[in-house]
Amino acid sequence: MSHGEADGHDAGGHDFPPMSSVKRWFITTNHKDIGILYTITALFFLVLGGVLALLMRVQLWGPGESILSAGAYNQAVSAHGLLMVFWFISPFAFGFANYIIPLQIGADDLAFPRLNAMSYWAYLFSGLLFIISFFQGGTFDGGWTMYAPLNVPTYMPNVGGTTVVLALIMFIAAVTMGSVNFLTTMYRMRAEGLRMRDLPMFSMSILLTVWMMLFAFAALLAALLILGAEHLLGVSYFTADGGTLLWTHLFWFFGHPEVYIVFFPALGIMAECFQTFTGHRIVGRKWFVLAMVLVALQSFVVWMHHMFLTGINLEIKTLFMVTTIGISLPFDLMVFSLIYTMIKGRIRFTTPFLFSLGALILFIIGGITGVFLGAVVLDYEFRGTYWVVAHFHYVMVGGATGLFAGIYYWFPKMTGRMYDEYLGKLHFGLYFVGFNLLYFPMFGAWETPRRVFDYALPLGTWHKVATVGGFLLGASFLVMFYNLFKSMAVGEEVGDNPWEYSTTAEWAVSSPPPLENFEGKPSYADGTLSFRDEPQLTADGSGDGGPGGSASTDGGIASGASETSSGHRSDGGLRTESATAGSGSALVTGPEAVTPTPTGTVAVHEEDEHADHASFWPFVVCFAGFLTFLGVSGIQNGGAYPWLAGTGGVLSAVGFVGLAREPFYVPEPTMAEQWPFAGVENMKLGMWMFLGSDVVLFGGFIGSYLFLRVANGWMHWHHAFIPEDHVVLPGLINTYLLLASSFAVVIALVAAHKNSSRGVVASLSLTWLLGVGFLVNKGLEWQHLFHVSTEAFPNGWNVGTNVASSTFYLTTGLHGAHVIVGLIMLMYMIPRAMKGAYLGDDETSIEYFGLYWHFVDIVWLFLFPLFYIL
Amino acid sequence: MTQLKLYSAIFVVLMALSTTQALVERTGFVDFDAPDTYWMAFGIILVLSFVKAVFVATYYMHLRWEPRSVTYLMLGGLFVALALTTAAAYSIL
Repeated sequence: MSHGEADGHDAGGHDFPPMSSVKRWFITTNHKDIGILYTITALFFLVLGGVLALLMRVQLWGPGESILSAGAYNQAVSAHGLLMVFWFISPFAFGFANYIIPLQIGADDLAFPRLNAMSYWAYLFSGLLFIISFFQGGTFDGGWTMYAPLNVPTYMPNVGGTTVVLALIMFIAAVTMGSVNFLTTMYRMRAEGLRMRDLPMFSMSILLTVWMMLFAFAALLAALLILGAEHLLGVSYFTADGGTLLWTHLFWFFGHPEVYIVFFPALGIMAECFQTFTGHRIVGRKWFVLAMVLVALQSFVVWMHHMFLTGINLEIKTLFMVTTIGISLPFDLMVFSLIYTMIKGRIRFTTPFLFSLGALILFIIGGITGVFLGAVVLDYEFRGTYWVVAHFHYVMVGGATGLFAGIYYWFPKMTGRMYDEYLGKLHFGLYFVGFNLLYFPMFGAWETPRRVFDYALPLGTWHKVATVGGFLLGASFLVMFYNLFKSMAVGEEVGDNPWEYSTTAEWAVSSPPPLENFEGKPSYADGTLSFRDEPQLTADGSGDGGPGGSASTDGGIASGASETSSGHRSDGGLRTESATAGSGSALVTGPEAVTPTPTGTVAVHEEDEHADHASFWPFVVCFAGFLTFLGVSGIQNGGAYPWLAGTGGVLSAVGFVGLAREPFYVPEPTMAEQWPFAGVENMKLGMWMFLGSDVVLFGGFIGSYLFLRVANGWMHWHHAFIPEDHVVLPGLINTYLLLASSFAVVIALVAAHKNSSRGVVASLSLTWLLGVGFLVNKGLEWQHLFHVSTEAFPNGWNVGTNVASSTFYLTTGLHGAHVIVGLIMLMYMIPRAMKGAYLGDDETSIEYFGLYWHFVDIVWLFLFPLFYIL
Repeated sequence: MTQLKLYSAIFVVLMALSTTQALVERTGFVDFDAPDTYWMAFGIILVLSFVKAVFVATYYMHLRWEPRSVTYLMLGGLFVALALTTAAAYSIL
């Protein structure tokens, strides 16, 4: 495999500009390119967040105001937290995930390459939105937890605050696209014989991370959409009775899984590095993985330990104290596993290993100090102090330490050159000393109130030491950047695999890897990685494994590397059990992918055709989204904002049409391990994954309604907040309309089966008409309610009239927005159906649309009783 | 039963159950001043919604014919949403 493929035109005949071309970076959909883009962008946000942190540390040199005004300090604290948590740590990890995961699992790319590009551009533009917020009268200044009521317009009237909320919404769109993509890829595109349980440790950690992301970020999206509506539409959730508590519930339901979302990729990298640099398989690997799965599940039932100081009842505090202590147990197992791996193996103190070991030490300190906060009584004392700040940074920045191990570990793979080991170790030394000088004194100064720059004079020495540590930590990155830049140009060239005991598949291809990753089809059918010929696969679909592979599926114990005929190292592979296709796995053969074309026909590609999906449109769509959000942020102020929003809206429409009409080809793997989703095509699984996330989004909205209703008195709610004119009939009519529209979709599917073009067109058109009818009925109902005039509601029942009207309009409005999206899809599908699309075996588009539409129907089946009857 | 007949029968059931929900309200069971009656009606109406949702998901969304793992995926999302809602509501009781 040649290096040149990654640099320019690949062997597959792609018309893909070389890496030196600017155009390439705007149209690329290749997972390795996207990985590089993520990594560089995340490092930019590290620098930005780091500079804000240094400003804070200068302010904290002594108690009281110095270089920053009080308002500016609040902004620096808030922006530092938000940028580091959202725009640096996770995206940094997903830079590696993008680059490495397809290589580790034996896939050519991610399942949805254009969606992957869209995810990156949405991430980038969301970050740019955040930066712009500084120049809109000040950015968000209510802390990274964005607690209510500080987060509502009354206390945060500046446009910048609204922009940050919208930036976070855009960021979550990027996260959700990424989560769906990675899950589909890892479940559907694994190399033959690669069972889920045998995934390399980094891949396993990312798998669990994206599962948590899929659900946790949906809860945050619900919170942010509501907050956005507070700023832009005037709804009153977080200012109502129980509103502040509602925010903490929604935020921390996301927030605690987020800790593991941040830490798990680092844990995966640490496990990889411990294996590679001790030459020993992770001790108790099966239990290590099980512990990670347990943590991922438990992460959703511990969130209220962040709320011990609020008014929640003692019973629930006690319960969550137990679950919180419980979640430390699987972590203990993982820590001991890593320590025992070092004892059993022979350590090579390379830079990636040092960072991994450092991350382990820091995480142990972070974990132990966190147990204090999990105990209700101790938390009463520590919450809101620098103890939390110190603990939190030992965990989160401890995780980042693991990620820095990753950048050194995979730098040779990504660039083809080795970094300077001396400078790497120097970086680690400065980093580790700086880190502990910065954060450990905070335990000593724990009585300092959090988020405040004033503190008792005797704590000054601790803070001065911390400030020195902060600058040392910052300086360590100058060494890192210098090292990486220099090594990219003049570093020693490496072959496929510079690490003697590495065991995963990315090391079996050239550095950097070719555009399509593998020349043959990777297979683990015989327990170690081998590559099969494409022609052989085409001929019989089950040829013998060819020579050459070196990597084992799960990081088996390396025992004497040897060169195989294809030049890849053989490491002995699995020791405990061979990887064979387990029950429920599927081997898919034959040409898979079809490409929708503008003419409404579908092109079936031959086996030997190559992926072709580079596109400029993901950039256009996300840039349009950026303009739209920027315009919306200040739309109440007039001026240029409405024009920006309008321009963005039009450009979005152009972008989506361009994206939909652009021919592309994404081959599904010809032989893949697909348990437990065999038989569910990539697109369908992606849709199900998205719907799974949407369940939590609507769950957040419905849950918020129920919570506020409980807080305000369940029965009192109806008497006090709802006008007599709010009756059942409009809801019932809309239920009939949506059920009928769902029925029309399944009729369209039946018509497609029968090759009835007229039947498909008629059914889809009927669906569209019924959907429009739903919206018209809703519009009429809303108009009526807006203009009711009674003694209780003399000025109508508007969006902001009371908490009941807010929950009603916003929740049913979100549902209505989903209906509108469905109608837009139909407006694309119906003309295509008129040209003969979707008949016979091409009915899948109708089925995928149906999944979405029926889901929207199901949501209404709950909104109807909750908002109209009960 | 052909597919079309099955889908049609389910459609009729869905419409009937929706009408039943409205009738429960019309017959005065949703009485905010009589908690016992209200909560009984509350239970009946929400169970009917769950039944309708299961019908739509099972047959219209074809969950019945998909691998069970797809059902578990959706149940996972539902569990997460219910965990948030019930625990949050309980925390202020």
